[in-house]
Amino acid sequence: MNVKKFGNKLASLGIILAVLFPFGFLLMLSMGRRWVFPSLLPEVWTPDNWLAIWGMQSGLGASLALSLALSLGIASMATAGSFWVSKQVAYHRHRRRWLAMAYLPYVFAPVILAACLQYFFIRTGLSGKFWGVAIAQLFITFPYGLIFFTSFWTERMLSMEHLIATLGGNTWQAYARVLLPVARGALLTCFFQLFLISWFEYGLTTLIGVGKVQTLTLKVFQYINEANIFFAALASCLLALPPVVLLWLNKRYVFSIGFSGPSRSGKSGSKDQEILK
Amino acid sequence: MSMFLEAIDIRKSFGTEKVLHNMNLRLAEHEMLSILGRSGSGKTTLLKILAGLELPDGGRVLLEGKDMGRVPPNRRDMVYLYQEPLLFPHLNVFENVAFGLRLRRVPEQDIRKRVQEMLDNLELPEQSRKMPQQLSGGQRQRVAFGRALIINPKVLLLDEPFGALDAETRASMQQLLKRIAEDFSITALFVTHALKEALLMGDRIGLMQEGKLKVYDNKKAFIDDADTGVQAELAFWRGIG
Amino acid sequence: MQKTSTYIGLGLFLALTAIPLLLGIGYALLFSLGLTGILSEGFTLEHWRAVLRSAAFWESIVFSAYVALVSIGMAVSLALFVVVRRPHTFEKGPLSFFIYLPLALPAIVMAFFIFQMMSKAGFLSRLAFQLGLTRSLGHFPDWVNGQYGIGIITAHFLMALPFFLILYTQMYRHEGMRALMQQAYTLGATRRQAAWRVAAPALFRRSFATVVLYLLFVMGSYEIPLLLGSQSRQMVSVLTIQKLQRFNLDDIPQAYTISVLYSMAVIVLALSSLPAYKWSGRKLFNRSRTVLKE
Repeated sequence: MNVKKFGNKLASLGIILAVLFPFGFLLMLSMGRRWVFPSLLPEVWTPDNWLAIWGMQSGLGASLALSLALSLGIASMATAGSFWVSKQVAYHRHRRRWLAMAYLPYVFAPVILAACLQYFFIRTGLSGKFWGVAIAQLFITFPYGLIFFTSFWTERMLSMEHLIATLGGNTWQAYARVLLPVARGALLTCFFQLFLISWFEYGLTTLIGVGKVQTLTLKVFQYINEANIFFAALASCLLALPPVVLLWLNKRYVFSIGFSGPSRSGKSGSKDQEILK
Repeated sequence: MSMFLEAIDIRKSFGTEKVLHNMNLRLAEHEMLSILGRSGSGKTTLLKILAGLELPDGGRVLLEGKDMGRVPPNRRDMVYLYQEPLLFPHLNVFENVAFGLRLRRVPEQDIRKRVQEMLDNLELPEQSRKMPQQLSGGQRQRVAFGRALIINPKVLLLDEPFGALDAETRASMQQLLKRIAEDFSITALFVTHALKEALLMGDRIGLMQEGKLKVYDNKKAFIDDADTGVQAELAFWRGIG
Repeated sequence: MQKTSTYIGLGLFLALTAIPLLLGIGYALLFSLGLTGILSEGFTLEHWRAVLRSAAFWESIVFSAYVALVSIGMAVSLALFVVVRRPHTFEKGPLSFFIYLPLALPAIVMAFFIFQMMSKAGFLSRLAFQLGLTRSLGHFPDWVNGQYGIGIITAHFLMALPFFLILYTQMYRHEGMRALMQQAYTLGATRRQAAWRVAAPALFRRSFATVVLYLLFVMGSYEIPLLLGSQSRQMVSVLTIQKLQRFNLDDIPQAYTISVLYSMAVIVLALSSLPAYKWSGRKLFNRSRTVLKE
């Protein structure tokens, strides 16, 4: 019995080490300099790369700020918008058809969507602009939020809203006093997931932003192209940091995997299960 | 003479399915009318039309002689209660009961006093800080009643309120509702598919069948009518004896 | 009032979902048929013929499908195997936290990590050299940028595995698998039989739509094959974008042709795999022409 327990513990430890390995490896590279074959570890260890974030030259600090602003903005807008719109869709008599429509951009490869839409962004002068990238990212985050929330608007929710009305409440009161507080967990979850979709996005951002809107993912790629693996690793660490922090704060909100399938970021809404059963 | 609540020639169809045909209803003040009907007989639709949650295809609803046609549900002063208590999950018992008062911006002191009185009345004095998930089915339904009664609605529309409760709780809730109906001089429509409950709860009784409502003058007339199923029930029990 | 908000809501919905998609596919279609674009000379099927006859296109389709099937097939099988044998491994304790960590890695970081691990100058190659398994950098196999897409498959596999482990762990708990297996025991099944004849197929069936969506997601993936793929065998997204950005202007209509073909394939696959929505609220909503007024 004890041997078995020990074996289980050992296996768990093995899994944890395997999970931590990529993070440790990237962290190691981010602090390295000169990593010549065949040495296993970099020859020089230095905090200089990390300190360079704050310097102007690398542009990493600026990218970090830009990515944060973009992803926080997108997540707020798409969460609020999709919450309200999903209600109109969920209570519509052709709910299923509308939802099927929302699934298409959801499964579409964002980079090909961007390729097809590039022309319109150029014509409207949005190509290469922050707002262009923001709008393009809305096209992929909004349907996700919509699908996420449609299962919030159940028959029960509708009855509750009716009840509030017969108790004398108007629409605003219904939202402020019941619907929003009841939806708090779902809103937070959706917000975090949309934040990550935007945070992780590369293909669409590089195409619509024509490389000028330098989010962190673009930075990683730029460093890889420049064969600067140490800075690429550093940018990778910065990319992984917010999700890890969010996860540490509360995994339930961030990565509640549902039964619906992956999002762009490989996560999935917890709320879709009803729809897809 | 105009009645307290009147529904005149109400019609409602869903697609090709006619749910209510020229249905009429008259309810006096402080009266509880129970309406017996099978599922799908249009009871719920009737209540929703009265509450303003559903629009009729034709006909009128009058409350104290006033046409309710254009009055939205939140200004009708008729509370519709579901089979499920639908307590707001993020609010405790006290706040659930206080809900309607807060919507009306009643001063805090009044709220405290009135909610406490209501909770005492509903035999829930110790539960005020509990969350809905911590209550039993019967307790939840009591909170739902308190939440409705506290705003003194003109009419209570009760849609099988005890349908989800077990037999014992159901019986005690029936007694409780009888008592508070008297204490508060409630005007109510009580919809049910249970024969005994209809007989027990109503001052008068109606039968909903094929989209029409037949209201009996007294309980004897209800019992004597073969359509209500009372005779069949009696025959069954006699048969056993 | 309610009607107005419904119209505004549905209008916003269309503006942010269907319209961009239709505009994009429509533009790509026009471009592919020579009806728009810098070099357009009027209607022609030439680009479609060129694409449908090109080996590179068909190879990219087959290669994308191969990568998706192999990586997701392995991830799903392994996840099912682990969850059915040890359903509670990732339910509580430290593992219930750590299993989520890999999901914090974006595709591009995963690609970079795999590159640093598996390329000829990567960590594994160094390790092999130190252990005396290889004599030089060149001896290490072409796992990255190679013909068989081993790097791409590994990256997708590593991203999908925790996802499916969590999915099946949650499903096992919430979908009454225990009750189902106990039912199987009372019918005379052994533990093994209950696991393999009841739990595993039941979990797989319930996750089928998710698996299909994930396959589509991998087939359309971009960053991972961009970094880890080879020049000769490309996945669909990479091929499309490369044709779009080449200096040879003839390639652009072909890129749009591939986009249209890809769109059609995704739409057909997605719509046919999404099973009937379970929630039968339709009747309710047909009825409830709600009249909540503001």
